[in-house]
Amino acid sequence: MSALHEKNASQKARLLNAEHWICLERARFYTDAHRETHGQHPSLRAAQALQRVFAQMTVRIEPDELLVGNRSSQLIAPPIAPERGDFTFIFGHLMEELKAFGYRISADDERYLHAELIPYWTGKTVRDAKIAAFRAHGLVSQLCLAPGEIHRKIKGFGVQGLLRLVADGPASGTRRAAVARLPRLLRAVRAGAGDNIKGRGRCTDTQAHIVLGHKNVLALGFSGIAAQAQARRAQVQTDAERGFLDAVLLSCEAMRAFSERFAAAARIEAAATGDPTRQAELWAIADTCTRVPWLPPQTFADAVQALWFTQNAAIISYGAGSGITPGRVDQLLWPYFSADLARGTLTRAHALRLLEELIIKLNNNVIIWPNIGGVQLNHLGSDVENITLGGVNADGEDATNALTFLFIEALINTKLATTASFRISEKSPADLVRKVVAIHRKTNSPAFLNDETAIAALVRDGYALEDARQYCLVGCVEPSGNGDTYGATGGSKVYFPTALDLVFNRGKTSFFGNQDGVDTGDPAAMTTFGEFLTAFYTQLQAQVGWVTQATNLRDAIWAEHFHNPLISGTIDGCIANARDMTAGGARYNFGAVGGGGLGTAVDSLAAIRTLVFDERALTMAELQDALAHDFRGREALRQRLLRAPRFGNDHEDVDELARDLVARFCAMVAACTTVSGGHFKASLISYGLNVYEGALEPATPDGRRAGMPLSNSMSPSNGAETRGPTAMLNSLTRIDHTHIGYGNSVNMRLPIGILRSDKGVESVAHLVRGYFAKGGFHLQFNAIDTATLRAAQARPAEYADLIVRVSGYSAYFTRLGRAIQDDLIGRTEFAAWA
Amino acid sequence: MGLTDATCSVFDVQRFSIHDGPGIRTTVFLQGCAMRCAWCQNPEAFGHSHARTLSPQAVIDEVARDAVYYAMSGGGLTVSGGEPLLHLAPVRGLLQEAKERGLHTCVQTAGAVPEAHLAGVLDLVDLFQFDLKHMDSDRHRELTGVGTERIHANAGFLLRRGAPVHFRMPLIPGINDDGENLSAVAHFLAAHRTADLHIVPYHRLYLDKYRALGQLPRLVAPEPPTDEAIQRIVNQFQWRGVAVTIDG
Repeated sequence: MSALHEKNASQKARLLNAEHWICLERARFYTDAHRETHGQHPSLRAAQALQRVFAQMTVRIEPDELLVGNRSSQLIAPPIAPERGDFTFIFGHLMEELKAFGYRISADDERYLHAELIPYWTGKTVRDAKIAAFRAHGLVSQLCLAPGEIHRKIKGFGVQGLLRLVADGPASGTRRAAVARLPRLLRAVRAGAGDNIKGRGRCTDTQAHIVLGHKNVLALGFSGIAAQAQARRAQVQTDAERGFLDAVLLSCEAMRAFSERFAAAARIEAAATGDPTRQAELWAIADTCTRVPWLPPQTFADAVQALWFTQNAAIISYGAGSGITPGRVDQLLWPYFSADLARGTLTRAHALRLLEELIIKLNNNVIIWPNIGGVQLNHLGSDVENITLGGVNADGEDATNALTFLFIEALINTKLATTASFRISEKSPADLVRKVVAIHRKTNSPAFLNDETAIAALVRDGYALEDARQYCLVGCVEPSGNGDTYGATGGSKVYFPTALDLVFNRGKTSFFGNQDGVDTGDPAAMTTFGEFLTAFYTQLQAQVGWVTQATNLRDAIWAEHFHNPLISGTIDGCIANARDMTAGGARYNFGAVGGGGLGTAVDSLAAIRTLVFDERALTMAELQDALAHDFRGREALRQRLLRAPRFGNDHEDVDELARDLVARFCAMVAACTTVSGGHFKASLISYGLNVYEGALEPATPDGRRAGMPLSNSMSPSNGAETRGPTAMLNSLTRIDHTHIGYGNSVNMRLPIGILRSDKGVESVAHLVRGYFAKGGFHLQFNAIDTATLRAAQARPAEYADLIVRVSGYSAYFTRLGRAIQDDLIGRTEFAAWA
Repeated sequence: MGLTDATCSVFDVQRFSIHDGPGIRTTVFLQGCAMRCAWCQNPEAFGHSHARTLSPQAVIDEVARDAVYYAMSGGGLTVSGGEPLLHLAPVRGLLQEAKERGLHTCVQTAGAVPEAHLAGVLDLVDLFQFDLKHMDSDRHRELTGVGTERIHANAGFLLRRGAPVHFRMPLIPGINDDGENLSAVAHFLAAHRTADLHIVPYHRLYLDKYRALGQLPRLVAPEPPTDEAIQRIVNQFQWRGVAVTIDG
């Protein structure tokens, strides 16, 4: 195995040690252009704004880098898109929190932000228009603060629980400080509630979440895309169509000019440096940037630069947090790699260096979340730029290649939080699966995706088979077309436990307290579990209706006002249709609705069925009363709920509840139509928001206390599964994963010790293949670090499902004695560094 | 259905076991043992408090749930204990049921059982994992309560009958890792024309089982062998022509 190239090691160190900045260059130049283009075609407005940004923003060439393309004036500063409204909202309400998290902003930018940027955009952003539309359609669930409601919230969530909502994270400081910040934060909560639509659904401001058309940029260059737009322009009839195509032309030219600026900067640096090696590198950078991405690349080095530069520019154009996805990088780059190797103009070592640098750059993707309270405001590496590796080609043959394995080496060497999706088909070589499992000896970044299931799901959703086979993973795990789809895979969500809350409160949610939906009757009067389930699905159907209606209202705003001709130009269909991607130009169009808290909801339904209806061990009224009081003074009842059968234990009766819930939810979602004429697709992923979302959810019948995290993604609740990994996976494969068009995520913790032996690696590889043979879609592992094991010692109840490898068998960590745990921690740490 | 002779006393079913034979396996632990190893790691095998009484069909119903994973990995059922061959009827019942469902079968034995019990399962076992705890009979008796005579005779019996056998040695620092014992193991293997040995490094993770049972192991726990110590033993075996696999 190689080690990280020293020049990449220095780049990685700089990345990890860099200050986090808020830079308003992108915001400022876009705004300047927006002011001047009032009344023009939205594609042309966007293209001119982009042209301004690319012409005026700071161009930087970092020490040691071979791939160039920065996104702001600082090494780490996410590009800010004020037109969306999410950033201006956060900056307007939560600047103090951002600063407490370590974000810096220049005095000039801060003055500009408050004096000009926010005032200009107020009332014009997607967010403002969206909230107005939601209000007009009665979709907003504003926090109800009537006296009776406040009393009910305090009873249901506890004072501590309510304070935790606004006082978590490093920004909280002392309790006194938290209380002092309370009024301001409450205002932010109320303003932030624009995302909270009825039924505790969420609809964020952004769409995007798409696979960029890198395949077209590499094949044609932006010059070729411009030529296509030009040719199409001669054929179209309307001003609107011509406006879009002119905007594509402008965007392509803007890309050329942007790249030329880097060439010029490299020449200046080359002249200034006294280091002959670096000088040669800088001249090479200058040459490369004069060619690509304007012209199609001819070499591997040019191809990697074209891919990175296009990726970076697209993110600037959309702003951070857009889920712009590079796609199948091993397939995209393979022709250049193999040709250069055959010509003898590229060494494997140099190719590895470039891939390492690409991965480091993909990890410069800080995001700023519009969430209150700092539970997860920002982390390095959160705006996922998922890379897809392996899988079959358009003909259905295995497409794993030497670059797939070189990427594995680069992932291990860089050891960053890269999201890498490995597509595994029945035809994938065993060696690939083993090597990906073995990555976990060093880092936890890879995920396994099942080609057979994903392709079947895509075909079911309307893809041609050869297009389906080229799918890429967007964001976390959403399968989407390769540069031919406007996916918008993220942003809209409902929570299954909320449907329970709506049943119990007869159309109100506990947290917001408004009469959101229909009264499905007094639960205490229900005589069968079937009656309860009917009420549950009635509420869920209403939630899906609200969230899809809201999403369509939002998407209409994008389609009308905020185009992206740069990205659209790369996507199959937009030029042919002479329409922006936001307006349905792409070949394939879909919307997304995520479902959250499956494990929590299924465990709750199972507990209700078992204890209330089957065993008649408690009445519905007793249960409702316990939930409304967050189980205070009712601990014995809570323990009984916790002992009810739970999802994830290979228990047919419970698993069937999960299977039916997923199937019915996916059908409800797929029945809804998007503004661009496609249909919505369901996903079961939590983006790591299950902790935050749980904070707004009252106590649930599975024994979960109010405000505690919901179960994540499609995984069973933490601590629920106690019969080992195969039992958990058997539960999951009772669900038909091909219904879940935008994917699901299953997270499994593994002890790092299991990976010490080849037998262990082999066995995990077989676990993956067995799961996939049974129809599972996604699986990822966490080999466990010491910090987790220590936390498990401190809070064993939360870690009841933590598996440790003992000797010849697995044991649940928290069932072991303290000294033995310490022993294992020592061993694990040793193993981790061995 | 009433209880039959083949009813099994099961004190644990461990799914996704990966060091109890080839592939991914489910290990079924049967109650009862005639030996009392000083370091015994499954003290719940004695007495009856922990065991569930199940029919072979019920046990294999659970085992068969992971059939796909066995098929992927070449795994299957492992019967362990206690001493699973202590009573013939239950283990035979389990193995028969497993074979009827096409599962690969493995039995872990310390060998201190009547020859007839081995003979009685020969046709149903794909692999025996056979313990060599200590080669010196007196020392073996001291450590486990029984001598090696019958054990070694049984090993010979299995090999003569052509049964697939993996010999396994629990590696316990200060107890059986001296040069003399290692030599004796190597000689034993050579005499039986076997060149493979599986080593199971001793660990202390079972100690809290004793705590839960309110008992103490007879042997004051030594430190588990370090990776270096294990490698030294592996090397010593290699010089003696024995190829070692580490289990666990």
